[in-house]
Amino acid sequence: MNMVQPGTRILVADSDRAVLEMLQIRLDLAGYHALAARSGPAALEMAHNMRPALMVLDLAITEMTAFEVMAALQRDVSRPCGQILLVGKRLGVDEVKRGAALGVRACMLKPFSGADLVERVSKMLKPASPAPPPASAVGSRMPPAGRPSSSSDVFI
Amino acid sequence: MVASELRSDVAATFDVLSWELELAGARCIFLDTLIGKLLGTVAPEHREQLIEGIQAVDLLSQHLTGLSTFARSLSQTVAAPEQIEVGAALQSVTLGALADRMTSSFGGDEAGINDGDDAGDLDLF
Repeated sequence: MNMVQPGTRILVADSDRAVLEMLQIRLDLAGYHALAARSGPAALEMAHNMRPALMVLDLAITEMTAFEVMAALQRDVSRPCGQILLVGKRLGVDEVKRGAALGVRACMLKPFSGADLVERVSKMLKPASPAPPPASAVGSRMPPAGRPSSSSDVFI
Repeated sequence: MVASELRSDVAATFDVLSWELELAGARCIFLDTLIGKLLGTVAPEHREQLIEGIQAVDLLSQHLTGLSTFARSLSQTVAAPEQIEVGAALQSVTLGALADRMTSSFGGDEAGINDGDDAGDLDLF
């Protein structure tokens, strides 16, 4: 089980109330301090005021596009948000590439379970571990040729 | 759009159902944790009853999470973009906040009248 730094702030920015509430409960129960925003401007304001360690940002956020939100965060020299996890129903290669250029660290394809998201958040916030031994010593962990990892597993 | 006229594709309908079941499951886990905290504060003679309650809520949570996983899997296997009418079905949902949230998830206008304390939905935060 991953240790959670108590009170680590996670901002969930999603226009869907069911997703927002479910993730809030799941993250709170996992020991995080979950914050919620239902629109792009609200997410930016909350990020600026609360300085979350991580933002879960839905691609279909309203009032601004997710890319506008990310660009605004990138322009802000005070660096209001630690990491960005981009989630969405229609996440394709283009969105992932564009997100990566704007600071996205990982992507998850909707729909996902709350448990999956908490696990991903935990992995993203885990302190970097010492360099692993060479691949030849532990065996290759690359997926077999012709079988790419699913887009819900993308780490950038 | 008026809720009674709402239409949605089958995959999105399963998605909305899946999120709602997952939310209900998460609320059960919240309740389960809460009862667990109470356990240490009650007299020993009442603990057995509370433990039974924890087990029941835990089972309910697993039940809902399982159904959510099922609905999510179905949404990923539906290929045809066939539209179905969800408006009439939504009107049969009597829990105000739930109907309002689902209407919003399907792209309809939120009535906004079901967010109050008397909405009948559990307000945890």
